Amino acid sequence: MTVVTEHRAATGAGAGVLERRYRRLLLGYPRAYRSGYGGELIATLLDTAEPGRTLPSARESFALVAGGLRTRVIYATERPAWVDGVHLGVLALSVAQLAMLVPYATSVPLWVGLSALAVLLIMRGRVRLALPVVVLVAVKVCAITLGRPWLDPTLLPVDPDRFWGDGSLYGGGGPVAPMIGYALAVLGLLVLAVHGGRLGRRSWFWLPAAPLLAGADPAGLDFPAAGGSHATARVALEIGVLLLAVWAGHVAHDPRWAMAAGVYLTSVLAVYAENLGAHSERDLAHLAVLVLLTASAAAVPYRAKRHILL
Amino acid sequence: MVSRMAKGSPTVSEPTYFILASLLDGPLHGHGIIKQTLELSENRVRLPVGTLYGALDRLAAAGLIAVDREEVVDGRPRRYFQLTDQGRTLVSAEALRMQQAASVVTKRILRPGSAFS
Repeated sequence: MTVVTEHRAATGAGAGVLERRYRRLLLGYPRAYRSGYGGELIATLLDTAEPGRTLPSARESFALVAGGLRTRVIYATERPAWVDGVHLGVLALSVAQLAMLVPYATSVPLWVGLSALAVLLIMRGRVRLALPVVVLVAVKVCAITLGRPWLDPTLLPVDPDRFWGDGSLYGGGGPVAPMIGYALAVLGLLVLAVHGGRLGRRSWFWLPAAPLLAGADPAGLDFPAAGGSHATARVALEIGVLLLAVWAGHVAHDPRWAMAAGVYLTSVLAVYAENLGAHSERDLAHLAVLVLLTASAAAVPYRAKRHILL
Repeated sequence: MVSRMAKGSPTVSEPTYFILASLLDGPLHGHGIIKQTLELSENRVRLPVGTLYGALDRLAAAGLIAVDREEVVDGRPRRYFQLTDQGRTLVSAEALRMQQAASVVTKRILRPGSAFS
């Protein structure tokens, strides 16, 4: 390796400010990429910056954010696809299940706490520890949907805290869909536990999804009457995450995000199947969008493999 | 050539074409590629750094370019990229394809008696 001294375009105190701002934008890249090539990117960014500039241009900022996301997606494919897909799917499902319990936190604090613990353990890749916790919550959920006093004498119906409006826990649908949802989560965790390989740690960005999803009852349909802001937030978040899954599948030519979307979609399909005949037009439109985006996430990796755009 | 490129070979975007073309004369580092790309495209292709390095990673993963050497300039590492044989073949084939595609039009509009001659 040769060592050379050269003068770059951006210099002085302004360059220090600019470099700091570029470094912040580089935080979108994976840590391993930054430690390998971060210095090189900073040098090129400072070389190409106009003299006197202290604020990164909008174009360069967008390119760095997009480049960081794209690199994160590529780096995520280092783990086996099916293991990662199941892990991600179970995490999405457990976040949705926690979100369903959040409005009832003062009535069933223990179960909300255990559900949150399960999400944390799954996020950190500790599936063997998460498995018994999810099983416990699943048993309690079955007990509530069936009106049985298993594990503790929870009084039925379980009403939400004042902030979340009315609607008792699992009051908007039958018992089968929640059971299928939890069965999927337990089955996924079992498969991952038996596989035994090292799982990746998931982003903390999954945590804010729980309050965003809270308030829309996944045991029932999202738009039973007029919908509302909770149902709209849930659908917007679902669509946003699924669009990311389609994009990630396209960028990395990899089906893991489609697998995760499939796990989540199966639980939603169970809700629709259990509520056959009670769907509004908006419910059906919601389902059609989820199916279309999941199918797109499954198709794009194969299309991308055949038609590589360099 | 056109039919071979259309089937099986990667589709090359304009920025990628100019990145590969900029390396035809020898290895360049990131800033060098940006300057050369701008010059070759007559100021049309102005690559942001984030886009350039994403493209370089993809091209290296596809085996079209490779790192020639590394230098340290003012305490920062700098990689020089060079075309591989596969990259040289691809950019040459793409140039011929575009030349043939262009000739479909230019032969007609420059023909004696055509409306544009």
